[in-house]
Amino acid sequence: MATLEHAGSVPLGLKRADESARRLPVLAWIAGWWLAGRAVIVITVVAVHRFGPTGWIRHVAHAHALGPLEAWDGRWYRMVADSGYLLVPGRQSDPAFFPLFPALLRAGHALGLGYATAAIVIANVGFLAALVAFHALTNALFGQSMARRATAYLAVFPFGYAFSMMYPESIVLALIALATLAALRRHWGWAAGCAAAAALARPEGLFVALPLAVLAWQQRDTLSPRARGVALGAVLAPVAAIGSFSLYLGTVLGDPMAWSQAQRAWGRAFSPFGVIHAFEGLGRAVAHDAWVTRDVVAVVLYLVLLAAAARAGVTWPWLVSGLVIVVLPLFSGSFDSVGRFGLLAPAAFWGLAALGRDPRAHRLILGLSVPLLAAAIVTLPLHFP
Amino acid sequence: MKANGVTLGVAGVVVAAVLGAGWLVQRTALPAPAPATLAAVRAATWLQRYRLVDSTFSIGGGPVIHGQCLQDWFRTGGRRSRGAALQLDDGFVLLAVQPHTLVSRGGSAAERSLSPIVLMELGGCPHVLARRLDTVAQEHRGVTLASGALTFALKGTRVTLTLEPGTGKPVALHVVARDTKGTSHIRFATVTTRVRQLLSRGLPVYGS
Repeated sequence: MATLEHAGSVPLGLKRADESARRLPVLAWIAGWWLAGRAVIVITVVAVHRFGPTGWIRHVAHAHALGPLEAWDGRWYRMVADSGYLLVPGRQSDPAFFPLFPALLRAGHALGLGYATAAIVIANVGFLAALVAFHALTNALFGQSMARRATAYLAVFPFGYAFSMMYPESIVLALIALATLAALRRHWGWAAGCAAAAALARPEGLFVALPLAVLAWQQRDTLSPRARGVALGAVLAPVAAIGSFSLYLGTVLGDPMAWSQAQRAWGRAFSPFGVIHAFEGLGRAVAHDAWVTRDVVAVVLYLVLLAAAARAGVTWPWLVSGLVIVVLPLFSGSFDSVGRFGLLAPAAFWGLAALGRDPRAHRLILGLSVPLLAAAIVTLPLHFP
Repeated sequence: MKANGVTLGVAGVVVAAVLGAGWLVQRTALPAPAPATLAAVRAATWLQRYRLVDSTFSIGGGPVIHGQCLQDWFRTGGRRSRGAALQLDDGFVLLAVQPHTLVSRGGSAAERSLSPIVLMELGGCPHVLARRLDTVAQEHRGVTLASGALTFALKGTRVTLTLEPGTGKPVALHVVARDTKGTSHIRFATVTTRVRQLLSRGLPVYGS
């Protein structure tokens, strides 16, 4: 108490040093979980590289020990980074892949790293940043114990192997958490930048606009007109960022909607009845490739976790944005990849942390997550994440 | 009122800044696609738009031949499959249907001895050329653009596809194979019932 009462009189340098000293153990704790989760992934990936199954990713699985982490969409991100966008009408092509991650790969390449190395470094360091930002955000919203559980669960979440792959998910999660954290702390300029960058990396980044809009509305009476303008700009920033992607594709390919066309060729054509088609075609999809079951389980799991989050008092903007991230892909008529998409719904992890309040549930969640994470990586050569 | 104006003005500036900065980052950080790959995709799009191509070609400096190549559905082995039928004015017919049907009839012995792929390339068979162009474009290698012509390899042959300036439409081909070479001028045409009937008479199988 004495420290708090006299805080105003403590020199700024000492205050900062004190704060850093308080943060250090938390950062070390987060780094520990990051290291543990990534160690499980690296050991399993090396085992997959050595002992198979090689499945569909034979080419990259044998390239080097961490080859499986470059598989599937990694090839497309590398292609954009190396040669730029190209729309091939009616064929799966690369404008379906958003530009921030390939731009970062190119920056890494310019520093002398190979594309694969740059991607794995960026994704994994990005995930450490995501864990730190997610912990800070959860702490600010729900307190220390929820933050600790949610961060630990996120670090070893079974579908979280995608955070270590040549995919932008870790960067996007970090940017979503940073955008809302900045907004909570009234740094709306930073919020705008992070929200825009999130939307430039994955379309799911768009949905951070909802929590930002509610925060801006809650702060409206305490912000100056100018700050209110920046806050409104931050809410609109993800849409503007996607607009800049369209503008760029328009200048290089002559088609501003090239990304939407390419999405259609990847089977991501949205229709109001798509969700009905997803359920109707489920039997056929499973008969064709039984691994689709994994994504169906993911949809159910995320919905249960969002329900748990709602019961725990997570506010509606987070729940709605989480629900949209999980349910919207079904409107394209398919369950594919929802396990990965749901990683960008922080509310799901808050739901899991709420379930983990019970010590037995906590042990069960951690006890199941680690082997499931390893098992999920073993399926990597057989089905895309 | 003034406060709302300031708010909207600042929000507009932020949105414009994101739009501009986003575009600039992409423009600076990402490479633009090579002109050859863009031209290849454009040429492939032309070729995919049409199912019938009229051609006038000569092989190894020989006589000028006129032909028509039609991409269609054909019935072979009890099932319908996509394929290409090339018919020349002297009655030579070549039919290539996925996965394993390749038959020819009529024409001269010299024509029948020619490589089917050379004939289909010179005949401008659109899907044969379009598929390869799409592939080389997507791989960002194996295609060059010089003097308005694309050059690429296709099953042991070297194809140079001359494009119409401005539209990028394929108008002529030069094909070099191991033991022969030829040049061709092509023109896209519309498939009519009459054309299909005329072609079906000469074909060993037809079931579209």
